Amino acid sequence: MFRLGRKPRETSVRLVVASTSPPSIHSEVEAPPPPHEALLQRWISLADMQQRVIQALVSEIAHTSGFVETEADALSGRFQRLAVSAEQQTARVDSLTHLATGIEVEGKIVPIDRIAGLLESTLGDVVEKILHLSKDSMSMVYALDELKANVQRVEKCMEQLDGVNNTTNMLALNARIEAERAGAAGSAFRVVANEVRELSKVTQALAATMKSELKGVTDGISHGHATLQRVATIDLSGNILAKDRLEVLMVALVSRNANLETIVADAVKEAGLISADVDGMVTGIQFQDRTRQRLEHVVDTLHLLDRALEEIKSSTTTTLPELAGAAPDIEWVKKLLERFTMSEMRARFVVHLLDGELPDDLSDDMSGNNAPSSGGSTELF
Amino acid sequence: MRFEFDADESKVSISGEFTFTDHATFKVIAARLLDGQDKAIVIDLAKLEFIDSAGLGMLLIVRDEADKARRSLVLRSPCGQVKRMFDVTKFDTLFTVEA
Repeated sequence: MFRLGRKPRETSVRLVVASTSPPSIHSEVEAPPPPHEALLQRWISLADMQQRVIQALVSEIAHTSGFVETEADALSGRFQRLAVSAEQQTARVDSLTHLATGIEVEGKIVPIDRIAGLLESTLGDVVEKILHLSKDSMSMVYALDELKANVQRVEKCMEQLDGVNNTTNMLALNARIEAERAGAAGSAFRVVANEVRELSKVTQALAATMKSELKGVTDGISHGHATLQRVATIDLSGNILAKDRLEVLMVALVSRNANLETIVADAVKEAGLISADVDGMVTGIQFQDRTRQRLEHVVDTLHLLDRALEEIKSSTTTTLPELAGAAPDIEWVKKLLERFTMSEMRARFVVHLLDGELPDDLSDDMSGNNAPSSGGSTELF
Repeated sequence: MRFEFDADESKVSISGEFTFTDHATFKVIAARLLDGQDKAIVIDLAKLEFIDSAGLGMLLIVRDEADKARRSLVLRSPCGQVKRMFDVTKFDTLFTVEA
């Protein structure tokens, strides 16, 4: 902070400005002084005003510098916290890169496109097996159909065999009857007829056994056919088309993952840029120290000017006491103040230049909260 | 399922739905196709609306029988669900499939 030692003013400026007469710094002077004296009075007046301006400027610089320094410190602190946050954010975004790359399986990152490939390969195997199963099932169905037809043909043969057997039996019976008619001459023929009849009975018994066995085979085939039919009629087309749907889903997943990777890569890049920018801002704000040093030099120079003016003013009024108490050049002050666009600053200058008072604390004014003073000479401007 | 043979008995057009219940009918169709004399056997599927896994299995059996007889089997103009099933099962790697 910079502050000039405030010197109490011997007199504050008394303005008497009549609205009907033009403004003059010599309003209270009854007779005009000689030209050189008037000129010296103007010099003294200007020196006095310049001292006040210098003190006001020093005050403004001090307060502005203090304000800027305080704000820069606060800003620097906030930017440093922002830098830490930005760095953490960059790390978090960077960790997303791993998530976007793939899925962790048993401690290893497996890329999404590889998972899609594995899934497609597995589903392809499943579909191939379904095709083989369907083909083998239908082959068995056709084989059982064929077997069933064979059995049916055998059953027809058995029916024919029954017919032959019945005929044989009938022939044996007729032969026996004819042998009885022939009497003793037919005794040998009778024996043959009996043998044929016994043979027919055996054949009939054998045929019955074969029929029974064949019925077992037929029942077995029918049961197997029915079972196979139940297996073969299970429609696996839905399972086959599931592969199609899963492939579409995987393509969408791979595409989404690719988009995610791009976005994450962009985010990582942006986060890095933000971190770098924030770091740069922190560094930039730290240059405030150099600004402060420059302002110190300016204030120091203004101090020297003030002292020089005070010295020359003091020595002049000592030599020429009649020049003391010179009125300020109000027109000059007005022109100076007209250049100020900030009303509160103009108000402070009015108070200081004309009333010789310096506000103690300008910090509130710096944030623009204070209304201009409405007292004293301020009203005139 | 309905079917219609060309005059030379080497090409058949099937329509409707081809499922397990058509296995007996398809056996007759396959036998007639294999009895033909042309080198290429053609099954036109343009009017076939649906095929299930059993139907695919029967086509594979005919293909094996045609191979044994040193004849080629062409599946022509599959569309809709039939074409989708062919695509998913990569039937074009197992058969000659013509658009």
